[in-house]
Amino acid sequence: MFDKDGDLAVAAERIAQPSRPDDFVTVIGTRRKRKSLVTARDIRRFAQAIGEPLPPPVDDDDSGVLAPPLFCQTLSYDELPVELLPPDGSPAELDVPVPAKRLVGGASEFKLHRRVRAGELLTVETELKDVQKKMGKSGVLYLLIIETRIADATGRPVSTETATYVKRP
Amino acid sequence: MSTPEPLLQGLERVGGTLPAALPALTFRPTHAQVFMFSAATWNRHHIHYSDEAARAEGHTGVVVQRGLIGNFLARMLTRWLEGRGEIRGLSWKVVKSARPGDELSCRGELTSMVVRDQARLYVCALRVVDSRDLLLAEGTAELELD
Repeated sequence: MFDKDGDLAVAAERIAQPSRPDDFVTVIGTRRKRKSLVTARDIRRFAQAIGEPLPPPVDDDDSGVLAPPLFCQTLSYDELPVELLPPDGSPAELDVPVPAKRLVGGASEFKLHRRVRAGELLTVETELKDVQKKMGKSGVLYLLIIETRIADATGRPVSTETATYVKRP
Repeated sequence: MSTPEPLLQGLERVGGTLPAALPALTFRPTHAQVFMFSAATWNRHHIHYSDEAARAEGHTGVVVQRGLIGNFLARMLTRWLEGRGEIRGLSWKVVKSARPGDELSCRGELTSMVVRDQARLYVCALRVVDSRDLLLAEGTAELELD
């Protein structure tokens, strides 16, 4: 559920509304922006999840631990309560009003300027760049293109991901 | 014909010439790993934890996240880099869904070198195949070597 004003109530109302084929045009360009403080625990949990646990901290000092290259994936989705997610639990960022329900990830393109370290305060901005209607092998489908830009406290870019999701009726 | 000198730098471990295959790395994601990746990324999409929900959407069961597959590719690349370089670009496209328990073999081949913003970047073609050598994902990486 992308909402131009960041108003969750409006966004929740949108969930309940039936989709019309051309509804998505109005939400292209919608942005969400927030800040996120990266902790060593976040980095260690992500490393364990991808199967590459980090070595234990030296002298119990875990500050500044270096994250795996794609750690910024943990920052892509907002921390919304489950009640505000679509019925399938998919990320709210992908709740675009198209007449389709079945979502699957398609592709990612990362530009990686540098690794993230624990203790950094990052700015995360997501933007719905485009929605494309296509004819696939099994019928019509919609491509949702989301860009996630992450910058450090000085505004320098850390990473940019352009992700493509596929949504089918 | 000899290989141009810039191509040799940093490529000693793969013979110093292009194209050059990187050591493949195989993964077998478990249900627990898929669950942990959803938790770490706060992705609550039901196709990543419920076989029933995934089947109702046309899958054969719980689906391994696109993002986790990308991390397998990144691990294959960073293992080869051994801290002597960084991944500057990584893109991949999933062409066939993977399930927990599937064997995913990540393969890479350095194919060329480009110069961007005064940095020499080695381009690596990427593939992820299953145990029957069927393509699951393909992509490209750009590696900056120290």
